Amino acid sequence: MLAGEEVIEQMWGVSLDRLYDSDEGQRILSCIQCGTCAGACPYGEHMLYPPRRIITMLKAGLIEDVFDSDSLFKCVNCYTCMTKCPRNIRLTEILLPLVKEQSAVRLEEMPAELQKAIENTYRYGNTYGESARKRAAWIETIEVPIRILAKDPAPVDILWFVECDLSYHPRGQAAARATALLFHLLGLDFAILGPEERCAGDCGRLSWEPGLAETLVDYNLSIFDKYTFNRIVTNDPHALDAFKFRYPMFAFKHKTTATVPELYAHLDRLKPMLTKKLDYLVTYHDSCCLGRHNGFYDEPRALLEAIPGVRLVEMDHNRENSICCGGGGGGMWLDTWYKQQGIERLSDRRLREVIATRANVLAVACPYEVSRFEDAVKLAGYEDRIIVRDITELLVEAIGGH
Amino acid sequence: MKGNGDIRIGFYICHCGTNIAGLIDVARIAEYAGTLPGVVVARDYKYMCSDPGQDLLREDIAAYHLMRIVVASCSPLLHEQTFRRAAEKGGINPYFVQMVNIREHGTWVHDDAEYMTGKAMDMVRAAVLRVYAHQPLERKQVPITPDVLIVGGGIAGIHAALTMADAGKHVYLVEREPTIGGHMAQFDKTFPTLDCAACILTPKMTAVKAHPNITLWTWSEVEKVDGFIGNFTVTVKRKARYVDEDLCVGCMECIEACIYKQGKFPDEFNMGLSKRKPIFIPFPQAVPPVPVIDPGQCLHLKKGTCKDTCVEICADRKAINFEQEPEYKEIEVGAIILATGFTPFDATRIPYYGYGKYPNVYTALELERLVNASGPTGGEVRLPDGRTPERVAIVHCVGSRDEHYNRWCSRVCCMYSMKLAHLVKEKTHAEIFNFYIDMRAPGKSMEEFYNRISSEGIHLVRGRVADVYPETLEKKTNGQIGRVIVQAEDTLIGRIRKIPVDMLILSTGLQPRIDAEEIRRMFNISCSAGGFFLERHPKLAPVNTFTDGIFLAGTCQGPKDIPDTVAQAGAAASEALALIDRGVFELEPNTAYIMEDDCSGCKSCIPLCPYTAIAFKEEKQKAEINEALCKGCGTCVASCPSGSIRQHLFEDEEIYREIRGLLAYA
Repeated sequence: MLAGEEVIEQMWGVSLDRLYDSDEGQRILSCIQCGTCAGACPYGEHMLYPPRRIITMLKAGLIEDVFDSDSLFKCVNCYTCMTKCPRNIRLTEILLPLVKEQSAVRLEEMPAELQKAIENTYRYGNTYGESARKRAAWIETIEVPIRILAKDPAPVDILWFVECDLSYHPRGQAAARATALLFHLLGLDFAILGPEERCAGDCGRLSWEPGLAETLVDYNLSIFDKYTFNRIVTNDPHALDAFKFRYPMFAFKHKTTATVPELYAHLDRLKPMLTKKLDYLVTYHDSCCLGRHNGFYDEPRALLEAIPGVRLVEMDHNRENSICCGGGGGGMWLDTWYKQQGIERLSDRRLREVIATRANVLAVACPYEVSRFEDAVKLAGYEDRIIVRDITELLVEAIGGH
Repeated sequence: MKGNGDIRIGFYICHCGTNIAGLIDVARIAEYAGTLPGVVVARDYKYMCSDPGQDLLREDIAAYHLMRIVVASCSPLLHEQTFRRAAEKGGINPYFVQMVNIREHGTWVHDDAEYMTGKAMDMVRAAVLRVYAHQPLERKQVPITPDVLIVGGGIAGIHAALTMADAGKHVYLVEREPTIGGHMAQFDKTFPTLDCAACILTPKMTAVKAHPNITLWTWSEVEKVDGFIGNFTVTVKRKARYVDEDLCVGCMECIEACIYKQGKFPDEFNMGLSKRKPIFIPFPQAVPPVPVIDPGQCLHLKKGTCKDTCVEICADRKAINFEQEPEYKEIEVGAIILATGFTPFDATRIPYYGYGKYPNVYTALELERLVNASGPTGGEVRLPDGRTPERVAIVHCVGSRDEHYNRWCSRVCCMYSMKLAHLVKEKTHAEIFNFYIDMRAPGKSMEEFYNRISSEGIHLVRGRVADVYPETLEKKTNGQIGRVIVQAEDTLIGRIRKIPVDMLILSTGLQPRIDAEEIRRMFNISCSAGGFFLERHPKLAPVNTFTDGIFLAGTCQGPKDIPDTVAQAGAAASEALALIDRGVFELEPNTAYIMEDDCSGCKSCIPLCPYTAIAFKEEKQKAEINEALCKGCGTCVASCPSGSIRQHLFEDEEIYREIRGLLAYA
């Protein structure tokens, strides 16, 4: 089996009508129409054309009908179909982006929230429509020294790619502060791009306009070229995905990892710092990009279990069978659109599993998830019983004195 | 070009219908061959392999006093033997024949007639020059030991053993478990006839035990295999059973008397659905009916402190022997049949089917025990909480047809899933849902069986199950096991279905045994991509291996049902019989040989030999090649630093002349 990077690289520049020119594209000819993709898809029941039917329609030359429906617009890019496909057809990586783009183009009206997020990103380099100059404003709220490369361009070990949510969203900023403190306490040599940083492009071509994604890639690459660093660490698993699977097509060669595996690599040194007992029953929600697409299942759990007092319980769906929070593939900006169609948000569905575990803390490792699940907790009326925390926040809480 | 002196060569090119003559000008090649040194007759003929073709060869040998023959036709794999025999009948040494493969290496892979005609000429020239240097060779004969080893006492091994023993051969049947019977002994009914597995199997098991020509060694494993076709030396380890097979009368009183009043350890035969004692027999009809003691569980063997109630009750029979040590038996056999069987796919490997996580998710083999009257529930299909299920789902293709697990179709699951649907419905009147991808019912009476069971009113849902999760998220506290939801796309109606069921049965596929690779190495055979043992030819030599004298039977070669397993076991037995009854085995003479004067005894050839045919003779300080094991691959010949290994039929002169001929553009 090819690694994801190679697969996506191989698919570079391949369009739907030339899909069979590539080995990976040809693989869809081996589809046995078992329906695993449709049955596994968290929104499969709401799609007129779930992945299985799309493959048949494509083979039968009826793909135009699929473009005209909004079926694939509902894909949250969670990699579940791809993970379970018995023929190992890498639907999420190869087929869906091509189909989804076409579906998006033909939508009568682009959902307003998504439209706004795309416009904001185009204009300001972030989905929030905030000024780029304020991107590093959050560092004023923390005493840890944080180097901004534009001010001090000396070579650095880790380029910490903070991303939009950690830079602008209040709950994201909490994770940013926690991460900065952990890096600082671990003595890591790190710096940020600050105002120079722009959105990495989510999972790149998968959910956005490809043109916009490429503009962002071009821009960020030009900034990376300005500085000398060994590797990139980012809190956002979507950015990790973009760097690992999309940027390499544009000659990006930097080693990239996510904050969770980075912290896990220092667990021996981190553990003695975790002195404060946290009497929490914690359940961990696997991020799709971190888990299914990059295989980090044990690392987040090991970090949580290193905290004194924490007891970890699993939801019914976990690890590779986890259910998406609904934020991926542009879903982050489609909540209203889903609601209009009478479709339940995945974060609400997922929360019911959280509640069933009786956990009082929901630990997450993706910046989309904190706000999505806090919304869901409020909606369910569980604010008194469940708190949502990024793993970095819990680690800092256990360090005590901070 | 150097001439061939007074060697008289006959050349023949075969049309092979249009296979060869359709592309190249055979008459032109024959004419060209006639101009080559030493060729006294050159002909083209429609089918050289036919009787008239062979007659032509023989007649020409007499008429033209031919001393060498070159046939340009198909692959030597097909007809080298044919032409060698014809030459032998004509009165010349069979190894004076050289074939030129202008079909597989020629017309089948080229489409340019002119180019191919030129290539054929080059190849013909090479063969004519080469054959001049051929030496007369002789086939050697090796006597064959008439006894047979059969490894594995499932239905395949049992059937092969009985067939051979009935033919008067002595059979050693070695079985790893304490009893023979294999997986079939665990099944309840068998498709498509729904006859009881035990009813048809146990008579054969007792027949094995009673047969004067069968030496049955259960609780035993093959440790070492040496030798070659007709002359294998095999070491068998007889594990300590702690109950003497010769003294035990099979009364089972020791089991009753064990200090453990109740079973305490998971019963392997019942797939862990019941408990057994440290001293046990797998099932009442076990053969031999001799208990075995698990040394890791028995108090006497583990801690040395027990009242030894088993010994007490056994009394004068003195069959219990805690001092028993493993015994090693060395046997000589002429042929070996491997019937080592399969392992069911481990369902825990697919996390989203919930096996090992939800107590009401079972494997098909567990269900076989549950529906079986001698099983842990006396044949009642009950959930762990004692209830009878009202809705049951059966998931086909678990671990099969899946790139992440096993790529192959396991062949039996569709039909056994239909069988289980019938049996569970019959016993519980539950509503049954079979989730399948494609329903596979090839084989005699299978489609009729499918027809019959589907008419019984089960729900057939065409869709692979994508997720299994609890119906209600609230954990039940009253001890009742909650339903699980089986989620799949019903691809025929295009909807996602979420069906709550009380019981979920996973139809796990067949895969090679965990230690198949070790067995493969021990017997020096090959495995196919999936790890099943590789047959010599998928169609024409399905029970042979690439190691002469070793045959395959049953599911160790690939998934198959009981009828096919038994048929293959019979085939393996008859192949082995055909070998043994010949009494001698003829060796191909194209083997490597050592020029002893030149061998420096460096031993570098020994580890290179893929057939372990080379040994070091200490007394001479020279390498020695066992002709019976050598396959003539040439590895040692090419690697010998002192050039002291040569090979019949591949002598330097022969090869150099062939190369010279090939490269001499005429």
